[in-house]
Amino acid sequence: MNTITLRTDGCITANGKLVESDPLMFLGHKIELEEGYTLRSFFRLFEKYAILAKLNVFLPDCIEQYRACSQSQCISDDIDHLEFNKTVEMIGFPGEPRLEIYNALCGVREKETFEVRSFRLESLLDMPFQLGMLKHIIFGDKVDVFEFETVFSLFEFIDGIVWELSFQGTPKECAI
Amino acid sequence: MFKKLLFATTASPTCDNAAKVAFDLELKWDAKLFILHVLGVPTRGYSPFVTDTRTGETEEADPDYIDWVIEEMKNTYSELLKDSENSVLETIVGAPHREILRKARKENVDMIIMGAHTRQEDIGATRYRAIAGSTMQKVAKAARCPVVIIARPCTTCWKLFSNIVIGTDFSKPAEHAFRWAYKLAKTVGAKLHIFHAFDISSGNYGQAHGQNEIEVKIGAARKKIEKQYIAKMRGYDNYSIEIWEGIPYVEILKFAREKQADLIVMAHHTRDIDPELALLGSTVEQVVLRSSCPVASVNHPDKVAEADI
Repeated sequence: MNTITLRTDGCITANGKLVESDPLMFLGHKIELEEGYTLRSFFRLFEKYAILAKLNVFLPDCIEQYRACSQSQCISDDIDHLEFNKTVEMIGFPGEPRLEIYNALCGVREKETFEVRSFRLESLLDMPFQLGMLKHIIFGDKVDVFEFETVFSLFEFIDGIVWELSFQGTPKECAI
Repeated sequence: MFKKLLFATTASPTCDNAAKVAFDLELKWDAKLFILHVLGVPTRGYSPFVTDTRTGETEEADPDYIDWVIEEMKNTYSELLKDSENSVLETIVGAPHREILRKARKENVDMIIMGAHTRQEDIGATRYRAIAGSTMQKVAKAARCPVVIIARPCTTCWKLFSNIVIGTDFSKPAEHAFRWAYKLAKTVGAKLHIFHAFDISSGNYGQAHGQNEIEVKIGAARKKIEKQYIAKMRGYDNYSIEIWEGIPYVEILKFAREKQADLIVMAHHTRDIDPELALLGSTVEQVVLRSSCPVASVNHPDKVAEADI
């Protein structure tokens, strides 16, 4: 499968060469992340290739939020790293049996995962970022989850991350 | 403003955020709080067996089982029940949405409070499934009182609300939603933000709107708000009017975040459709799913007609 590398400065390289323009033709390519990749690197991608920001209606808003965040030290003590993974799930009850495949971005601490929607963007931008495994869940059995090596395309990567970020994070104040 | 409240709960962690709000409202408004859990669907007419809505297992709905469920609910909400003065725990066998609506009608409650998801595991995969809980959708569609949906931890007590956003599309249900939002804003002393999004996407993807056309539409919408809403506010000046262009659910979420809204009020659907026939409007559904503050959907004039505005 054709592979591209996403660099920490937001640039895309294909076969070692910098992609100067037309990133759309690489949407179906398998991605690899340069060492030190973070969520901030993800947003730099749209600074380099503005057309990619049109892929999701929430992206321009997410980019606005990103620009309002500090330039560094956007980290959280509650998670060790961010992980982008894929799930294949067979569902049988309630309702008709069906199979769903979806990507998700989550926070990981030791082996426990946390939803990123409960974090503010400014506490995630500089967290280490990893590509995870494919999880296979059968009929809601979350104990015996099978895990497999998998690949992610550039489109899945952008769309999956923005899907999670489109949920408004928990506001700063907490009174109750 | 709230004398009777109905908190419809799965009695699971998915409803914890909604539970905090429900108990808080009970205390702050001296209201009576009905905590209702529909424990299962009868396997067939008059059968003693029920299918538990959460586990899918068949249980015998004898008094012992029902007592056990109530005991479990007491344990779940033990902390919140400590301070509660006027709450009643109830369990009913039946189709959840029907029983919730029946209870709301019987007790003539002022508001129904619900969580957004019916099953915790739905959260990870909401993308390809029914996004909002199906029970919530059915209740929101048919309830004659406002339904407040709480998906995230609530950060401000209702009596301390300072920003209430009402999203309008100028439909009849939106008029009811406005009246209710206005009454609440006036009662708690909050600023009422009347928001309309000029939809530049509907059915015309790729078709660009000229800036002049957008400005004309925005000007017309402002006049409509002034005529339809502001004129009814009788001198209440703690309000703002905002009209943005874009995709309605994206814009209302952005606006709510910018204003640090404590509550978003919307009508259930974005078009003038018979409420009995309408599904939950896709705009409301998207907003419920993503909003960090509670979302109230108001569809019927019943509880707002009494509003003294």
